[in-house]
Amino acid sequence: MPLSEKNSVVFAYESSVHSTDVLLRLNDQRKQDFLCDVTILVEDQRFRAHRSVLAACSSYLLSRIVGQLDADLLITLPEEVTLKGFAPLLQFAYTAKLILNKDNVSEVCKCAKFLGVHNIEESCFQFLKFKFLDCKADQQECPRKKCCTSRCEKANVNVALVDDGGLEIDDEVEELLETEYTATPNSKLSKGEENAKVSPHLQDNTNQTCDPAYLEKDNVSGLFSLCPKYRKFQKAFGSDKVHTAEIGSSIKNDQVTSATSIHQSESFNDAIQKAQECTAVQLVSQCEETQVEMEEREKEEELKRESVSQSISYPMEKTDVASFPPNFSVAPHELYSAPFLNAYEQYSNLNFSSMQNTVVAEKTVTGTVVRNDKPVSENQDDSLLKSDLCTREDISITSTSDRSSVEREVAEHLAKGFWSDIYNTETACQMRLSPATAKECSEPVYSGKKSECPWLGISLSESPEPCSQRTFTTLNSVNCPFISNLGTEVCSNSPEINSGDYIQEPQQEQCPYTCVISLGEDSETDTEGDSESCSAREQECEVKLPFNSQRIISLSRNDFQSFLKMHKLTPEQLDCIHDIRRRSKNRIAAQRCRKRKLDCIQNLESEIEKLQNEKASLLKERDHILSTLGETKQNLTGLCQQVCKEAALSREQIQILAKYSTLDCPLSLLISERERTALDGKPVIPLCIELPSGLSGAVSASEQSSCYPCVRGTSDTTYNQVQELCPISMKTSEKTLLVEQCGQGGGITDFCQQMTDKCTTDE
Amino acid sequence: MESDGKGAYVLSNLAEVVERILSFLPTKALLRAACVCRLWRECARRLLRTQQSIAWVSALEPGPSDSHSLVRALAEELENVHVLPQTVLYIADAETFSGYEECHGQKRARKRNSKETAIALEKLLPKRCQVLGLVTPGIVVTPMGSSSNRPQEIEDGEAGFVLLFPKIDGVKIHTFHFFKDLKNRVFDESKFTEAGLKNNPELRVVLLFVYNSWKPGANRFLHQIINPLNEKSIILAGGHVESLTSLSSENNTEAGDSCGVVGLAFSGPQLQSATVLLDQDVIDERTVEAAMQRLKAANIPEHNTIGFMFACVGRGYQYYKTKRNLEADAFRKFFPNVPLFGFFGHGEIGCDRIVAGNFILRECNDIKDDLLHGYTTVMTLIHLGSTKANQV
Repeated sequence: MPLSEKNSVVFAYESSVHSTDVLLRLNDQRKQDFLCDVTILVEDQRFRAHRSVLAACSSYLLSRIVGQLDADLLITLPEEVTLKGFAPLLQFAYTAKLILNKDNVSEVCKCAKFLGVHNIEESCFQFLKFKFLDCKADQQECPRKKCCTSRCEKANVNVALVDDGGLEIDDEVEELLETEYTATPNSKLSKGEENAKVSPHLQDNTNQTCDPAYLEKDNVSGLFSLCPKYRKFQKAFGSDKVHTAEIGSSIKNDQVTSATSIHQSESFNDAIQKAQECTAVQLVSQCEETQVEMEEREKEEELKRESVSQSISYPMEKTDVASFPPNFSVAPHELYSAPFLNAYEQYSNLNFSSMQNTVVAEKTVTGTVVRNDKPVSENQDDSLLKSDLCTREDISITSTSDRSSVEREVAEHLAKGFWSDIYNTETACQMRLSPATAKECSEPVYSGKKSECPWLGISLSESPEPCSQRTFTTLNSVNCPFISNLGTEVCSNSPEINSGDYIQEPQQEQCPYTCVISLGEDSETDTEGDSESCSAREQECEVKLPFNSQRIISLSRNDFQSFLKMHKLTPEQLDCIHDIRRRSKNRIAAQRCRKRKLDCIQNLESEIEKLQNEKASLLKERDHILSTLGETKQNLTGLCQQVCKEAALSREQIQILAKYSTLDCPLSLLISERERTALDGKPVIPLCIELPSGLSGAVSASEQSSCYPCVRGTSDTTYNQVQELCPISMKTSEKTLLVEQCGQGGGITDFCQQMTDKCTTDE
Repeated sequence: MESDGKGAYVLSNLAEVVERILSFLPTKALLRAACVCRLWRECARRLLRTQQSIAWVSALEPGPSDSHSLVRALAEELENVHVLPQTVLYIADAETFSGYEECHGQKRARKRNSKETAIALEKLLPKRCQVLGLVTPGIVVTPMGSSSNRPQEIEDGEAGFVLLFPKIDGVKIHTFHFFKDLKNRVFDESKFTEAGLKNNPELRVVLLFVYNSWKPGANRFLHQIINPLNEKSIILAGGHVESLTSLSSENNTEAGDSCGVVGLAFSGPQLQSATVLLDQDVIDERTVEAAMQRLKAANIPEHNTIGFMFACVGRGYQYYKTKRNLEADAFRKFFPNVPLFGFFGHGEIGCDRIVAGNFILRECNDIKDDLLHGYTTVMTLIHLGSTKANQV
């Protein structure tokens, strides 16, 4: 190759990260408004950006920017470009990442087309459009189809409740109401106290006493008190008071909730009017309940819409429900808890993850909370004392003794009878999880909503459609402090927690739910071994019975008895029912036991793994330390040699050094070092003679004895090879080490001998 | 005589003519012809290099012989394919693959039979190719011949398919295998690197098949594998299969009893892929078609593309109110020329995602386990690059 050609060879260096890096830095500049030279005005909002970047990304903006010479250009985009659509696109221009959700996908698509943004492919919009379209269709149509039975029944429930609520109201609620009445005087007395107690926990709140929010809070906590079962739950928490206070504060902090409380108080008034129309207490309560429910639904609709508009960031309605504190989220659950529970049963065997379990449990908890709220409000209406709400809370917190043991028993039964059934069936197979099943679960709730009230249907279509897969996961990452508080405990306590829910359950069971329930059973028998043990006999009895065996099992003792009274049954049927019930209880107990065992095994497994990891890491550490130790030793010897060599220490100095050096520093080394230096200094034999005398002062006698011969030996060997200093010195040091070991070796072997002797004698 | 001599002259000297003639031969015959002379060998080699489209062999009917019908089908069909397989994926139905009930009632006998069938299959294939074999409860297969044949969902009965991947320029296909080692409980991430799943910027698609997933600890193990993979911008699809029958790249002796993950990793810049999840609210023809429309909207090129369908055993005939073949037909409706393969398994891996040449579309609300599903169907399209570009 000629020289000229050689010189003209060109090399190209290409960085693979440069382009992204530049973009990143430009984005930083944009965020800091640094070097930005254009302002984009979209729907009254200003965006600062760089002309060059925008022009490079969008053909439309290029045409707008080109030829403009102003120092600070203001571009007002036409109406076609919306804020929703433009913001993600601007982000894309600077980050190459486009964040799309159901809300903005169509607008972003439109804007992208209008602005002529490069590098955005149409197909991704298409894909997402179909996806979100799917979701919508699924939500609106399929579940409806699926669950139309439950919907109709649900409507029936309401009718039934209004019509003959007085007849069908169960003892449980009655009892509760009564206890409430008796409890009110006490609570009034301690009302002041209670206020004082609670207030420290609610420091954020400015208006504590007569604010509706406060009422609301007390209301919520009051419900807890209403339900004796809840006390069990509280007990499980240990510090119930703090907990309720927390809940209260969380509610209060939210503006929306205060609004609801206002609404609620309004609805109370309405309810009072309704109450006056009715005479029988039970009937009243029933009517009121339904009324309040209806009204609350209305309110919630409004609120939901508000909240949707307020919190655009929440992609779906369900999240709203989750993220708003209990009293808000509660209502839908409470209203539809019956279909929800049924749905839950239905899908319980579809292997929810334990996580989802707890979330669902939490949901139901919140549901119960407001359910219980209803009786409170009724009481309140009767007595026309809103301040009583505060006092309710008091009962729950202070007066444990008020509760009769009978009530407790009832609570336990309820807890075991109903929830544990569901809960255990799920946890039995909690290993497998699928968000999709969770989704299924949520669907009936939706459909229930639609069936219940037309407004919800509207809001459904209005509000961003949940890509329901996410529903549960967003619930997992709870914003709601209430749920997060519960989160840890719910797993262990859920049977108790959900007991509260049961109070309402019988009311809804009054109308035929068998259809849905049997659906659930079908799927249960598909996958779950346990439900197969509901033997053929059970099945055949079921045929004869006017209701479902599932229902027999799920009822608590009291409800079960009242239930039996309601139906006129033959002795055989009764026997059969009792049998079914007994067996189901056994089954539940067995399930629980198994679950506990499985949990235990799982814990142990993880423990083992942890320990093994630890062991591995420790071993690694040990090896590392050993290697570093060896290194350090080597360094030390090297340094010693160097120091001795450089300082050209005299023998005495070295001895002194050896004396004061630590045990880690091998004395022998220093000594051998000294010899070497001595050898350098030629007179070898005099050294040999001198050594003992020199050492005698500083070094102990034993050391002397070990050193002396070695000095002799090394001096002999080294004498022959005076020229090669370094290797020799090494050799000598080695030798001395050896010798020293020999000297100590005797002691060690003796010790070993002793030890082995001991061992053998012991054996 | 004279004409014979002329013909011999042409066939032993004119490469263009020889190449043209040889191009009509299927691969096996071509390889035999390559032994004739140097010129023919060169021509055959050039021809082999151009054979870069996928071929498949499928068996839908139970055969009369005592082995699985797939073995017979493969033996026959290998003579006709225009492909030199380098990577082979075969999936057969679990029940018949492990032997006929009437011959062997006992479990042990059946197990041995499954191995024998696997070995019989492997023997038919070239020695150097990677073979990954699985058995599943049900099979989705496109009949041999044209890629526009109607794919069949065979939930019950003897069926199977063999996918033959040739060496494709610009596309690398690896098999990989991780199994839960009972002794060493900590999963070693370096295995990922070995399998080309880590530090591989060209990785685009990973098909995962989990076996023995009912074993204790399998779920955690699976998460250990899937979560790091899911962080990347790749398509993940697959499902839980009945068992692994063959994996030629290793002698898996100890792996048989624990749970494990096998799979194919496709890497190459020209790959494009999209996947959709048909979850539980996809319950009828309309919703299935909506999902297919979504897949279609991903705009993946349809030539040199294969479709995969991983469905739950709970779907299919019963799920769609006794409508047969609904999902496969919907696929055919939207993708008339893409062969579809897959299986009915015990669980699915997948999500809605597109990985194309210029962009990646994925959900970004980092849910860790949004890949594992049950009672769903995962449909995946893998485009292996334009064949024309390869031939140039």
